[in-house]
Amino acid sequence: MSILTVNLKHLYQRRGFWLVYVILGLFAFAGIAVLFKGPEAGQGRFTGFVVLAPVVGLLLAVLPIEVLSKPFSYCLPGHRKVPRRFVFCVGIVFNLFGSLLFFVYPYLNAGQLVLVVCSAFFAGLISYLLVAGLAFGVRNSVAFIGLLPLIIVAGQFFDLHTVIEGVIVGNPLVVILVGVLSSVLAWLWLGDARLARRYCGVPGIGSLDAWNRDKMQKYRQVRLAKKWDKLKKHPSPWVETFFLGRMNRYDYVSTGRYIWGGLYTAFGIALSQLSQWKEAFSGVFLALVLVCFLGYMGPGRNILFIMPGFIIAQMRLPVYSSMLISGGRNERYRGAMTLVITTAVLITVLVTIVAALSLPLAAIMPDITLRGRTFAFYAMNIELFFIPLLMIPIVFTIQLIFYRKPIFMMLLIMLLFMLLFWHEQFGAVINPMYIVSPVVLSWVLFLLVLRYVCTRRSLVGQG
Amino acid sequence: MNSENPIVQMRKVCKRFGNIKALDDIDLEIHPGRIIGLLGANGAGKSTLLRHIIGLYKEDEGECVTFGREAGKLGPKELGRIGYVHQEGELLDWMTVKQLIRYVSTYYPNWNRELEEKYVTDYEISTKARVGSLSPGQRQRLAILLAIGFEPELLILDEPAAALDPVARARFLDLLLQIIQAENRTIIISSHILSDVEKVIDHAVIMKEGRILLDCSFDELRERFSRVRISALGGELPVELPFENVVHCKRSDGQAILTVQDCPREKLQEQAKSLNCWVEIEALPLEEIYKIVVS
Repeated sequence: MSILTVNLKHLYQRRGFWLVYVILGLFAFAGIAVLFKGPEAGQGRFTGFVVLAPVVGLLLAVLPIEVLSKPFSYCLPGHRKVPRRFVFCVGIVFNLFGSLLFFVYPYLNAGQLVLVVCSAFFAGLISYLLVAGLAFGVRNSVAFIGLLPLIIVAGQFFDLHTVIEGVIVGNPLVVILVGVLSSVLAWLWLGDARLARRYCGVPGIGSLDAWNRDKMQKYRQVRLAKKWDKLKKHPSPWVETFFLGRMNRYDYVSTGRYIWGGLYTAFGIALSQLSQWKEAFSGVFLALVLVCFLGYMGPGRNILFIMPGFIIAQMRLPVYSSMLISGGRNERYRGAMTLVITTAVLITVLVTIVAALSLPLAAIMPDITLRGRTFAFYAMNIELFFIPLLMIPIVFTIQLIFYRKPIFMMLLIMLLFMLLFWHEQFGAVINPMYIVSPVVLSWVLFLLVLRYVCTRRSLVGQG
Repeated sequence: MNSENPIVQMRKVCKRFGNIKALDDIDLEIHPGRIIGLLGANGAGKSTLLRHIIGLYKEDEGECVTFGREAGKLGPKELGRIGYVHQEGELLDWMTVKQLIRYVSTYYPNWNRELEEKYVTDYEISTKARVGSLSPGQRQRLAILLAIGFEPELLILDEPAAALDPVARARFLDLLLQIIQAENRTIIISSHILSDVEKVIDHAVIMKEGRILLDCSFDELRERFSRVRISALGGELPVELPFENVVHCKRSDGQAILTVQDCPREKLQEQAKSLNCWVEIEALPLEEIYKIVVS
């Protein structure tokens, strides 16, 4: 079996990718199905696969990078150049398949059709290689996947698919020429021995690691540690003084000591960061940008209340930990409970403040007209402040149950997100009973699950 | 020593992870003052057993009692007497070493600052460095410090020397020997580096596939297994050698090396006299005893 075959096997051996294939499959199906509406020219209906190619490039190029980062693969003979073959192999097959759609392009003779199909193939390959190259060039590029919704919205808004189709059909020879040139360049660049050296033994974020909380947290902490090491001074001594001071107020066997210890380990890193003016300023700036962006999103602006759910899914409760301090299961239970309550209150207050910020902004923000469409700024519906209070315990419940199965955790949290986002009555649930009952229920459920985990389940390893 | 109440008592403990039986009917008593070597191949159940002792795992069946309390219900009082160095190496990476030491020491009233300073100096731990930027060996040293800093009565070491270089390992063994000096200090050490383990332990527990194959004092163990080297003084060795319970025999050119089990040394010497040969009897190293027991 060739080295390339072994590497290609990762495509089906990584079970997390099966979900990616389902999602990509749905998009591909939509790309084909749209042709059945009528293969009309000039409407961007043929470019489904070309548009999908960069996504495939980003997700799948990370796979050989992961292999490359394992020191053993650096030493294996003939292994260093396999990523290049892997990237090209996947790209050629995918774009070959995608370009076939252009065979039903109307109003073209056989010769023109062949030319347009070749053009479509190279157009897809260019975008695929561009993003795959980016994946190799920029460390932890998989994080760009977070920008995908934004790119989709922007692409739709600017009719990017129609523009791409126009270029493919209108200038096939140019596209083919650029495609060949970029393929040669990518082939040479991906074969550069420096790439292998650059990635060997360097920890990074893998394709599906965004949902592996432990790996992400570890990566973040190590990155921060290295950054702070360079500063050569303690970034925020008051954080330690504050929390250790609070801990010392309690007796050694008192739960209070463990509760403050849990808060310290959970918030210490964030507080240390935020107490540096640069980080704090970036935080405020980002919040303002977010408010401005969401304000123009119409009904979707209330997504603000759901977003914290995703952020806290990355948080770690002081339940599953092998670092032994003198706290037992009961202390872990109380510590985790306090941490979740504190988090929920903090996030609810923070989100409410951000939403409140949008109220005065609504009076001063101008309407924006783009491509004939006018976007007005609307304030967030502050009455939805309870959503984080509802969502946070549910997210933590899912996290507790599926601690060792991040893929299930991801699916369930996404499902919850979609349920809340697409709730038709999203804006009309402001009935006190309708609010209180699910909030109370979600908290009761969380506390029951937390209690069960802390008293009955294994707190480390595989159990 | 055995007359004292055991600090750990496991009775008929079973633990399953899906289809895998990680612990199978474990009966074990750990008495104070012992240095126990917990030996076994990967997946034998050593870490699972240790995690039951401190309550990180709950048994499916049976009972595990530590310091007189059900392990799953251990609180700060009991856990404050247990130090644990674990395989995962989980630490708070964003803190500096100094911060982490201060944080952990806040949980223990009897944290020994002198010991901490001595250890930091001896082991060349940089207290200003971030934990996340430490090498695996430095992390391991730090984990050891955090586990011994409060002078625990029960010290559980799960593969403590795996990431240490030979010099650090030797220092670590010296440290263990110092710790052992303290009266009634109990140490459970699980390690694959048997040559290290045998320098410090006085009791051995050998596990295989979730079961305890052997649980006895190290002296008894060394008594049970011997190596007999026989060299013919003139001519050939007899075809039949007069030894019983021979586990392994290797013969070549008038020489034979036998591994004998459950045969007292006096008896071996007596049997050797009947041969017109030069006979040498020696104790087996732990590594070889282990191989015999698990095979």
